[in-house]
Parts: sequence; C-alpha cells; structure tokens
Amino acid sequence: MSAVLFLLAFVSILTIVALGGMFSEKSGTVALSLEGCMTFGAFNAGMVMYVLPNTVPAGISALIVILVAIVSAGLYSLLLAVACVTFKANQTLVGTALNILATALAVVLIKQITKTEALPVGNSRLSFMRFYEIFNVNFFGMQGVRFNWLILIALVLVPIIYVVIYKTRFGLRLSSCGENPSSADSLGINVNKTRYIGILLSGMLAGFGGLFLITMNSEWEFANGATGFGYLALAVLIFGQWKPLYILLGALIFSGFKTLSVFYSSINFLEKLGISSYFYLALPYVVCLIVLIFTSKKNVGPKALGEPYDKGKR
Amino acid sequence: MNKIKSFFSSLIKKDSTKTVVTSLWCALIGLILGFLILLVINPSNAAYGMTSVLGNYLIFSSPTDRLNYFGQTLAKTAPLIAMSLSILVSYKAGLFNLGASGQYSIAVLVICLLGAGANWPWYIVMIIAMIAAAIWSALTGLLKAFFNVNEVISGIMLNWIALYLVNGILSNAGESIWDGAHSESVAITSSSNSFIPSIGLDKLFAGNSIAGLGMILILIVVIIIFILLKKTTVGYELKATGLNSDAARYAGISKVKSILIATAISGALAGLAASLSLQNGFTSWRLSSVPPEIGFQGISSAFLGGLHPIGIIFSSYFIIHITEGGSMITDLGFSPETASIMTSVIIYLSGFVFFIKEVMRKYEIKNELNMLSRNKENKV
Repeated sequence: MSAVLFLLAFVSILTIVALGGMFSEKSGTVALSLEGCMTFGAFNAGMVMYVLPNTVPAGISALIVILVAIVSAGLYSLLLAVACVTFKANQTLVGTALNILATALAVVLIKQITKTEALPVGNSRLSFMRFYEIFNVNFFGMQGVRFNWLILIALVLVPIIYVVIYKTRFGLRLSSCGENPSSADSLGINVNKTRYIGILLSGMLAGFGGLFLITMNSEWEFANGATGFGYLALAVLIFGQWKPLYILLGALIFSGFKTLSVFYSSINFLEKLGISSYFYLALPYVVCLIVLIFTSKKNVGPKALGEPYDKGKR
Repeated sequence: MNKIKSFFSSLIKKDSTKTVVTSLWCALIGLILGFLILLVINPSNAAYGMTSVLGNYLIFSSPTDRLNYFGQTLAKTAPLIAMSLSILVSYKAGLFNLGASGQYSIAVLVICLLGAGANWPWYIVMIIAMIAAAIWSALTGLLKAFFNVNEVISGIMLNWIALYLVNGILSNAGESIWDGAHSESVAITSSSNSFIPSIGLDKLFAGNSIAGLGMILILIVVIIIFILLKKTTVGYELKATGLNSDAARYAGISKVKSILIATAISGALAGLAASLSLQNGFTSWRLSSVPPEIGFQGISSAFLGGLHPIGIIFSSYFIIHITEGGSMITDLGFSPETASIMTSVIIYLSGFVFFIKEVMRKYEIKNELNMLSRNKENKV
C-alpha cells in the first residue's frame, strides 16, 4: 500500500511542477529555474516549519506554510522574468544561476540558524517532525499507512490547469505568446506582461511542489537542493510535449520506475536477481532518455521558446 | 597626445573592452551583495570575513604559506578552466552543455579504475579519461543530431545516469580503489605512476605537490582551443552552425558533423577537468546523491569570461580565488557557501551583459551623431 501512496505522491509532485513549467514555456521562456524555485519555496517553508511555535493550531500553520512556499517561490521566479523578459538575458544561463543561488542561499541561512555553541557553523539539514505529522495523516484511519494530503490539492489543481490552458482566454493568449509573439502583439496582447504571468505561475507551482517534496520526509538536507526534481519535471514537460495529459502520463511512467528503485527489494523475484541498487536508481533516467528518443523527432514545442521578444523584429 | 586619445577611444569602442568592463561590474556587484550577506549574518566579523574571501592566500603572514596556498589556488583553477572551455566549445556550436557533470563523472570512473586501481602512467590515464568523457558527451550529440533530442534534457539525464553508474561501480571496486570507511575513492598520491608530475613546480610553490605540470598543460589547451575556434575550418564550421544552422547547411557545412565534433571536444575537455582535479591528489570521488557541482561552475566562469578562451583564464581564477577564500571563513562563523552565493549572483548579472553592451553602443552612436552635427555647425 505504501508503495502506491509513494507513487501517487511522486506523480503529483512531478505533474504539478511540470505543469508549472508549462505556463512558463508556453509563454516562451525556458523553465530551467524550476529546480531553484522548488528549492527556494521549500527552503522558506522549511524555515517557517522550523521556527513556528507549537501553539499555532495545525490547520492555520499548514496554511501559512503553503502560502509561504507559493509566494516566496513566485517572487523568486520574478528574478528570472526580469532578466529574461525585460532585459533579454540568456534564459539557460540565468536559470542555472538561479538554481545555484537558491541552494547556496538556503545552505548559508540554514547553517546560520542551526548553529550552536558547539557547532559554530551549523549543518544544512532542517527537521520538522511536527509538520511531517500535520501533512502526512493516516490513510482513512488505517494505522501505519501515511498519506500526504497535498496529493488531494494536486489532484484538484491538474484539471483546473487543464481548463485554464485550453479553455480560457488567458490560456490561449499565453500560448500565442510562445508560438508567435509578433502576431500576438499585433493583436493587442502585451507579450512581456503575459510572459511575466507565465513565469510567476510556474514559480508558484514549483514552490508548492518543493514544499510537497520536503514534507514527504520529516527532515531535509538542503545542500542537495530539490535533489534534481526541477530538472526531472522539465524533462517530463518536454517528453509530455507541453500537453497536460501527456505530462501526467510521463510523470506516471517516470514515477513508476522511481518507485521501483525504492521498493524493489521488497519484490521477491527482483530481490533474487541480485542486481545492484544503483541500476534501479538509474533506470528512471534511462527510460526517460529512451522515451525522449521516440518523442523528440517532431519538434512540437512552442515555436518562440527561448527567444526574448524583440518588438523591433516585428 | 591626440594619438593616445584616439587609441583609448578606439579601445573603449572595442567589443572585448566592453565585455571586460561589464564583467568587472558584475563581479563588483556580486561581491558587494556577498558582503551585505556577511554583514547580516555577523556584523562584527563581516569585514574580516570579506577580507579573507577576497584575500585568500594573501591573509597569511608567512611567505611560505602564501606561496603554498597560491599554488593550490592556481592548481584548482586548472580544472575549472577546462570545464569552462567545455561549455564554451559547445556553446559556440549552439549547444548548451548541461551534461558536463556527467562527462566529468565518467572520466572520474576511468581515472579511479586505471589510476588508483591499475597504476597506469598519468598521460595514458588522462587520454583514456578524455576519450571516455568525449564518447559519453557524443551520446548527447548523437541524440541531438539524429533524434532531435533537446541537448539540455539529455545532458541532465546523462548526468544522473553517470552519477549512479560511477557510484555503483566505484563503491564495489575493492580496497585499492574505494575507501569504504569514508565512502570516497582512494586519492592518487604523488608516489603513483598516475600522478601528474610536478616537474619542479612544487618547489616553486613551497613544496605544494598539487601544483605541477597540469597548470602548464591547461594553458596549452587554452591556446589550442583559441586557435581551433579562431583560425581553423573546424572552428569556423562550429561557429557557423551555432550562429545559424540553416545558413551553415546552405554553405555546405554538415550540421551532424559539427554537433558531433563540438560535443566530443567539450566532453574531452570535461574529462580533462576530471583528470586535472583527481590526478594531482587533491580531490577524490565522494558518494553523493547529486551530480558534481563543477559542471555548473563551468557555466559561470565561461560566461563571466565573456565566452572567450583568454577571458576564461581570468574568470576561472577569480571564481576559484573567492571559493578558496570562502573555505577559510568557517572559523569566523560563516559558511563557505557564501562564496557560492557571490558567484551565482555574478552569473545572474552576467546575463545582463548583452543588454548593457547594447545600451553602451546606443550611447556611443548618439555621441557620434552629436559630434558630427556639431562639426557641421562649426563649418557653417
């Protein structure tokens, strides 16, 4: 049972973050900073979880933590927007910088608050047992089966995002800015503003994903950032061909193999094969690469992806 | 007098000067932000902390210590230069080499097996490591050229695959290669055949044995890459493909060939980085759950160096200088990652270089037009 819940949580995180990246990429900006936004959101939420007194009721503190994760990661993603939309910086470069910065900031500040008399420079690990219990409840009263209820929020978000991207005026305008910004502009759509909103949404969803990721555990080592989840989400986004349903499918395939790498030793015949655990750890990435080989031939991504919009070129 | 003036004005107008000036500005702003962070964390030690970061080896009072740590900083700069060149070569061909960490890891595997394990001569280990990394990197190129797989994504995937591959093989490799108690690979010592010889340079740097031939090798490699990109047909083809692959194809340049050559060369350079950091004994492979950071550091210094081989020497030195300085501030109650905040801020800012240069250019054109119209008025 717990393997199923693990799988479900994994799918939810990957899907939510990849869908976030979709908002950014559909509007024309490469979402390489997902990892950084996840780390930054998770870090701020982690700090709040660390310092919030026990006297605050569980419901309210959970709400505060979620809000902090979303808002802080949203603000962080604006750094990408300013550099790449307004100042037309190289999107891969700035994304990489933001990923390194988020981890470095988190580590420096956490080491600062966890230091003690005996430990002049603290460690970069935060523990938040109380919040682990708030976010992970017993599955329908079953003892010992933990269920992270953020899965429910993710399940609600997926159809909402689907409707927003395909059925609303905003969603269609967003896509037009990534496909053909010049004509979008000529029709009176503010390309740069739309891209800002796309990046902001991607940051907020990544922040939620980051929080979700760390609450799966009772403590988190921030020196590893979001352990590459942001990059994975980006890969899922690309092999999901920027379409919500395919993204869900891609996340499911990847999470399936990831779950296998964690639980393979409890499956009898796999255990008997005696293959190194590192093989199972690498398997999701290998599968991901193979799927990419078969799905990349047709270039289906947003046509203006990665290009800053230059009015002068219209 | 006029000659000097015109020399300076032409120097200022040069594109490379603008790059240097803007890069320096980025570095300055990054350092100031870093100082502010130190001030917030611990105001009383901030000034001394910043001096340590900026001074690095200069804060030691004894000349031997200074020389020793200066040699160490230089020796650590060599792998970063190689890594930055790796990013540079693929970038010139229009590819972003985010898979450099994975190529580095594969080279590490070769070095540990053939160096620490089999004790082969250093140059053979180095060459095989470079070839292995080049092949690993060419995978990205193959996927890009034949299956149109985005190189950023395949690079990232290959980073993780390489990480688990290397972790898996090395951690089961036996005592001569893997130190199970510390979960890291056995370092290559100066008595080993696989150790890059010091050729007397260690004596120059107060007996610091990690300073050696590697530092000279990397300068030769910089010159080779400089010539390759500037003066050879291959370099021209790479750059043409990078600038406009359709136009390049129209001119008879094979896109597949360019992509494969660029990825292979950049892989070999990432392999060289591994060789320069493991084969002089100052690093070993640690069991880690994330790919090595040096691949991303290479991106920083490549861009900070204005995407120019010579600029990269200085930017790599600068980054290692403050990173090494940063590692000295733990006693003051600061974490060494403060230096990493500074460098990432600097890379972030270097994204604005294009914009700043554009503004400078517009300003210049405006000035020139003003001068022209003034000259006209004078004549009238």
